[in-house]
Amino acid sequence: MEQDLSRVVDALPGLVWTALPDGDIDFLNQRWCEYTGLTQSEARGFGWRAAIHPDDLSGLLETWSASLASGAPREAEARLRRFDGVYRWFHFGTAPLADAQGRTLKWVGINTDIEARKQAEAKLRASEQRSRSIIDGLPANLMLMTPEGMFADGNRQMMDYFGTPFEELRTLPVDAKIHPDDRPELMRRWAHSLASGEDCDTEARFLKANGEYHWFRTLGVPLRDDDGRIVMWHLLQTNIDDRKRAEVLIAGEKLVLEMVATGRSMAVILDALCGLVEGTISAGYCSIVLVDARGARLKHGAAPSLPESFITSVIGRPVTVHSGPCAMAVHDGRQVIAPDLSTETRWADDWAPMAMAHGLRSCWSIPLLSSAGKALGAIAIYYDQPKRPTPEDQAVIDQITHIASIAIERAQNDAALKRSEVFLAETRRLSSTGGLSKRMATGEITWSDEVYRMFGFEPGVPVTLELILTRVHPDDVFTFQDMLDAQQLGNDYIHEYRLLMPDGAIKHLYVVASAGRDQDGELEYIAAVQDVTPRRQSEEALTKARSELARVARVSSLGALTASIAHEVNQPLAGIINNAGACMMMLDEDPPDVRGARETARRTIRDANRAADVITRLRALFTNTQAPLEAMDLNRVAREVIALAMSELQRNHVVVRTELAESLPTIIGDRVQLQQVILNLLLNASDAMSAVSERTRLVVVRTERDAGEGVRLSVQDAGAGLDPEIADRLFEAFTTTKSGGMGIGLSVSRSIITGHGGRIWATPNAGPGVTVSFSIPPRADGMAEAGRQGVTATPAASDPGRGMSESVSPR
Amino acid sequence: MTVAKSLVCVVDDDESVRESLPDMLRKFGFAAEVFPSAEDFLASEQLGQTQCLVLDVAMPGMSGPDLQAELHQRRLAIPIVFITANGDASVRPSLMRGGAVECLFKPFSLTAFRDAVHAALQPTSRGPS
Repeated sequence: MEQDLSRVVDALPGLVWTALPDGDIDFLNQRWCEYTGLTQSEARGFGWRAAIHPDDLSGLLETWSASLASGAPREAEARLRRFDGVYRWFHFGTAPLADAQGRTLKWVGINTDIEARKQAEAKLRASEQRSRSIIDGLPANLMLMTPEGMFADGNRQMMDYFGTPFEELRTLPVDAKIHPDDRPELMRRWAHSLASGEDCDTEARFLKANGEYHWFRTLGVPLRDDDGRIVMWHLLQTNIDDRKRAEVLIAGEKLVLEMVATGRSMAVILDALCGLVEGTISAGYCSIVLVDARGARLKHGAAPSLPESFITSVIGRPVTVHSGPCAMAVHDGRQVIAPDLSTETRWADDWAPMAMAHGLRSCWSIPLLSSAGKALGAIAIYYDQPKRPTPEDQAVIDQITHIASIAIERAQNDAALKRSEVFLAETRRLSSTGGLSKRMATGEITWSDEVYRMFGFEPGVPVTLELILTRVHPDDVFTFQDMLDAQQLGNDYIHEYRLLMPDGAIKHLYVVASAGRDQDGELEYIAAVQDVTPRRQSEEALTKARSELARVARVSSLGALTASIAHEVNQPLAGIINNAGACMMMLDEDPPDVRGARETARRTIRDANRAADVITRLRALFTNTQAPLEAMDLNRVAREVIALAMSELQRNHVVVRTELAESLPTIIGDRVQLQQVILNLLLNASDAMSAVSERTRLVVVRTERDAGEGVRLSVQDAGAGLDPEIADRLFEAFTTTKSGGMGIGLSVSRSIITGHGGRIWATPNAGPGVTVSFSIPPRADGMAEAGRQGVTATPAASDPGRGMSESVSPR
Repeated sequence: MTVAKSLVCVVDDDESVRESLPDMLRKFGFAAEVFPSAEDFLASEQLGQTQCLVLDVAMPGMSGPDLQAELHQRRLAIPIVFITANGDASVRPSLMRGGAVECLFKPFSLTAFRDAVHAALQPTSRGPS
């Protein structure tokens, strides 16, 4: 039986052996001996040990001894030398063989080749090693967390970042390294992921070993076993500090620029800028100082985190290098870094101790420069520890300084613009001027509030041509339409028209319009609209006063002309008497000289008519009635006046010479008014020569054809000439060169001539004296009435010196 | 043609005077000539034969008084009857002082005119030579 068993064991395809209870090997099967190349006798006892890899032997024996001692089988692994000297890994399985009483009779062992598994395991270990080094080499923090959310493991990168050993980390609260501001949100989301098993993706600041917080994106993914249970969380942290700072910076910049754009006050904007700096550069305090209007002293800008007493110690300091880093930065236009105030020598006796007394240890001041390079102020960053800006800090500083400069310059410009808008609005209000624009392509009209007020519409009501026309005075609608037509030409223009308000009031609007192109190149008018009602009313009153003056002037000429009038009347009267006398004598003859009598009677009638004409003319000249406009020959008008004034002129020893052009164009006007002008010029010329004795008191009355179909009349005297000081004001009322004159004549003359659409002027002669001339333009029949009205309402069109073209006829 | 008729010259720029006065003068029995201006009269052949001058005061160019002074200058003692349409009586004294026989204001009566011319033709009315 024993023999049979031995054969069976020998035949087993495994390496099998038995041992006595004390561990002494007493049998090894044939396969074992074949494998190792040892014989039964060689291997029995302790001989088998020769086939065990020397490195594995002690471990194997240890396990074997333990098994024997306890009586419980222990497994072991060791390399077994093949007959050819090659070692392969084997599993050493043992089991005790016991009798019915439980005593160990023998140990049975079996060695199983596990070389393949061992190699696979080695490969796996090598791969794990590689993985570990890759993980450790990752430029990211990798953390393993338990399913309960506690810290389990991490890579070297993470270790280096936190600077805390794993063991300590495992004992710390899980949120210990998270920025307090980010903690609630992050923990809320982490708890949610733990509960739901969903991936976790968060952004938060984590405390670095050096005390700084950096922004990380933390991506958490659960690792599950085959049953889907979460066995581990993998947390991958990527440093997004640069991006986050840039984001914060951009968001901050956007906020600041929005504030600028929406016209927030400078104080609010500067506060926001300080907040932006403090949120971007960790652990610092920021302040902004500005420069006063004269650029001489610092004034407060913003310092939301600095004590009041520090601020008041800084502001008001003169802009010199000795006043402190901000003043120096402004003065030099360069960044000033004071990395450690305790060793700072530049402001050692004043500013530095003051700053240190407020707990500050370092200060960086950066000037804020306008686009033109002018210092607007400075931005300062303070720390309560010695510190120099890192390149990252510098980049942020440059960025913020840039945006701050833009914001401040813009805010200052806006403030200036606002002041000037207020100024403009006030000016417009005071001058009753409004603005309007009209886009010709669309007909879109925009009014300022003043124009709405002038028209008596609620501001904001859409402006249409129809709306405007409801207010335009019916008498001015035609010229208004003319103006609209003229707009198509794209010329600048001046236009005046009246509004008839619902309450019957009349307003005079004066429009000065300038044509331009909008950004799309479309024709656009920008116009100033002025309510000139008070001016027009006073002008009307003035015109009334002037015509009254004119009448006074005429009446006073009456006195001057008494002699002339008497002459003019007496002359024909003499003729009448003489002729009637002669007629009677002829009839008394025998036979009566009937032919002669008839002739003298005819002369009598003629002279009587002549006398009647004189009276008619005089009545016209010296009464207030308006004579009708008529076509006339200026030469004839001039001759009549000269005749009327002749005796007066002769009495003053004035010689009149006439140089009247032949075939002058006919003009249309008021004969009496023009006669009055000529008479006035003649009497002036005569008066101007009253002191002349050394030369002929010559007056030359000249008519000639003017430009176009106009005519010109000049009266040239040989008097003392004009005082240049008076020349400019010659035609103004109450300017006089005569001791006895009122100075009304020329002013009245001018209003008459401008009323005829002409002009009147004076020029000194080459020799002694002055020539006063007027010109009357030709008139179309339709224009005559308009010109006539102009006598009482001096039209804008006749006012010289206006640069803009007149698109419409004067009203 | 009788020798006895005295030559009376009229100088006046007013045509109606120049038309009507010669008729009158002829009816009174004088010879009459008319001139529109003092200059024309001075240039005429009748200057030396004129025994009475009816002279307008106010005329373009040389006035009546100017002519009076000129004649005086030339020692031509022609008696002058001034006529003027200017109603201003203040001119009369100076004209009379200048040697005028009379100064009539237009319109004047035929009688006054005839008396004045007759007075002028009296030998005593000749001005100092």
